[in-house]
Amino acid sequence: MDAASESNLVESVCLPFFLRAQNADGGWGFLPGSPSRSESTCWALLGLMHGSAGTGSQASHRGLAFLRASQLPDGSWPATPDEKIGCWVTSLATLTLLGFAPESPEVAAALQWICKDWPADSAPWRRFLARFSSQRDVAPINNAYRGWGWTPATSSWVEPTSFALLALGCAPASLLPSQAIQRRQLGEALLYDRMCPGGGWNCGNPNVYGVAGEPLAGPTVWALLALQGQKNRQENRSSLAWLEASANDMKAATSAALARICLQAYDRPLPAKSLRLGPLLQASDYSLNAQSVALSCIALGEQQLSFLPSPMTELRRA
Amino acid sequence: MRSPSLTPSFQRPPSRVMIRRASDYRGELASLLFESLREFHLPVRDKIVLLKPNLVGLDPYGFINTHPAVIAAARESFLRLGAARVLIGDGPALDRDTQAILESVRLKDYIGTLAQAFVDLNIDEVQYIALKTRASRLRGLHLPKTVLGADFLVSMPKMKTHHWAGVTLSLKNMFGIVPGSCYGWPKNVLHWAGINQSILDINAAARPDFAIVDGIVGMEGNGPIQGTSKASGVLVLGNDPVAVDSTCCRIMGLAPERVKYLAQAGTLLGHLKLDKIQQLGENIAVVRTPFTVLDAFSGLSV
Repeated sequence: MDAASESNLVESVCLPFFLRAQNADGGWGFLPGSPSRSESTCWALLGLMHGSAGTGSQASHRGLAFLRASQLPDGSWPATPDEKIGCWVTSLATLTLLGFAPESPEVAAALQWICKDWPADSAPWRRFLARFSSQRDVAPINNAYRGWGWTPATSSWVEPTSFALLALGCAPASLLPSQAIQRRQLGEALLYDRMCPGGGWNCGNPNVYGVAGEPLAGPTVWALLALQGQKNRQENRSSLAWLEASANDMKAATSAALARICLQAYDRPLPAKSLRLGPLLQASDYSLNAQSVALSCIALGEQQLSFLPSPMTELRRA
Repeated sequence: MRSPSLTPSFQRPPSRVMIRRASDYRGELASLLFESLREFHLPVRDKIVLLKPNLVGLDPYGFINTHPAVIAAARESFLRLGAARVLIGDGPALDRDTQAILESVRLKDYIGTLAQAFVDLNIDEVQYIALKTRASRLRGLHLPKTVLGADFLVSMPKMKTHHWAGVTLSLKNMFGIVPGSCYGWPKNVLHWAGINQSILDINAAARPDFAIVDGIVGMEGNGPIQGTSKASGVLVLGNDPVAVDSTCCRIMGLAPERVKYLAQAGTLLGHLKLDKIQQLGENIAVVRTPFTVLDAFSGLSV
């Protein structure tokens, strides 16, 4: 499939998927016909934004209304509509809203929540107790670095930390809480600490019982996108090299789309014979869900990637 | 909706566990499984059967995940037994890209099109369930509707050691029904609530009706993903996940009563003791294949 027909995938597969799958309440489920949830609605909105529909389509307006209505009073977003506690989806929702209405009060409230959401595993008293644990050498990581968890008051992991860093990094300086710089510094340090030996990331276990963890496409791409401000760091370069070397083995739409997004963000050429999304999206319709289609839209769409964190230096000046 | 009754083990009838030899994945697994399952007289006619394999990560060498040949053989067997539908569902714990895992195990080559057969439990519709038991700190969980709506649930793990829980078999395999879209990758709330305790609560909420363990090639040492392959050449199946897991432990040269969660499961979820398990097929002693464990679990070995 050549480049022209690849870009046609947005019109022929991705946008029809979103238009077909949008629910009456304006939101999206992960699969057509399933109830709306915040996360899948974010993916759909990001897909529409980066695809040719842009930010002004009626589908986007309805989706945005659903997303705003799903925000909890404390500024966070829950994983399911019946849940009353927010989670990592807050970062994704913030990132989504930043593409539509960056100065909105919803974004300001969400940023406050993100900065107050500390992981529990690295609380000072837990770090003190961990010194005496018989398990302290099993998975050696530096608990002084603190990121974000999938759910509140648990442990830091690579992907939720990356999403939070992207949200904080892409937000207007005027809306950022005072702790934002500290949280970004700690979060970035955590990502570098959790990198697998040789480059790349998995969910956040670089080493267990002395065995090096294997990187995965998803966490590697989100971490690299969150760390775009330090493109020339050796860790970024070796992780990018791992991603490029792994491209030939990527046989799934989500990983392939993510790899394309990342290589484009780092101004790297796409491999000539791999990461083709057409066959992956069309070969098996079980692969079509809100996230995989949205990432394909972002990878193939005409709009420039909207996730570009501002350098920390600019933030300090602001 | 599934709502397994919790019966103290002393009130349960004896369980039935069968051990069948299978030296590799190339043989007539479907007929072997069909003949074996028929002996259990399972109530699956016109029912929806959900097979829950262990699909935990990318698996280029084929000893991390339940082998697709076993999954396909089970699917074919339940259809032959009259099931209306046989679905395959899992929610991988470490990698969000389920399609990548399915491609790496080549499930499509064994099953055919996956569109109507496979359910990604990580992104399935969910329903909140208040837990019946209080082993962990969890009070309730969002669980996939496909799991809750299945008439007959089959846990299909790989026979493996596990670096946090000792062993991962049909009970631990049920971690995979907890949806990542609610709890993340990994499903860290379960670790915070206590791995052993969470295994008990999840199985009390959605106890498998049957278990089929792929022990043809398993994993020893630093499992569930970083260990080394270990061939036992067996399939272990039965109508009680606790009894099946304890039989697997005995095959692996481990004492089931020393596996924390299994010892507790033996009081409420099924039978642990040999005298309450009717052993069919091969004798345990004949197929016994000791698995190495990490030093932290050396006390499990017998």
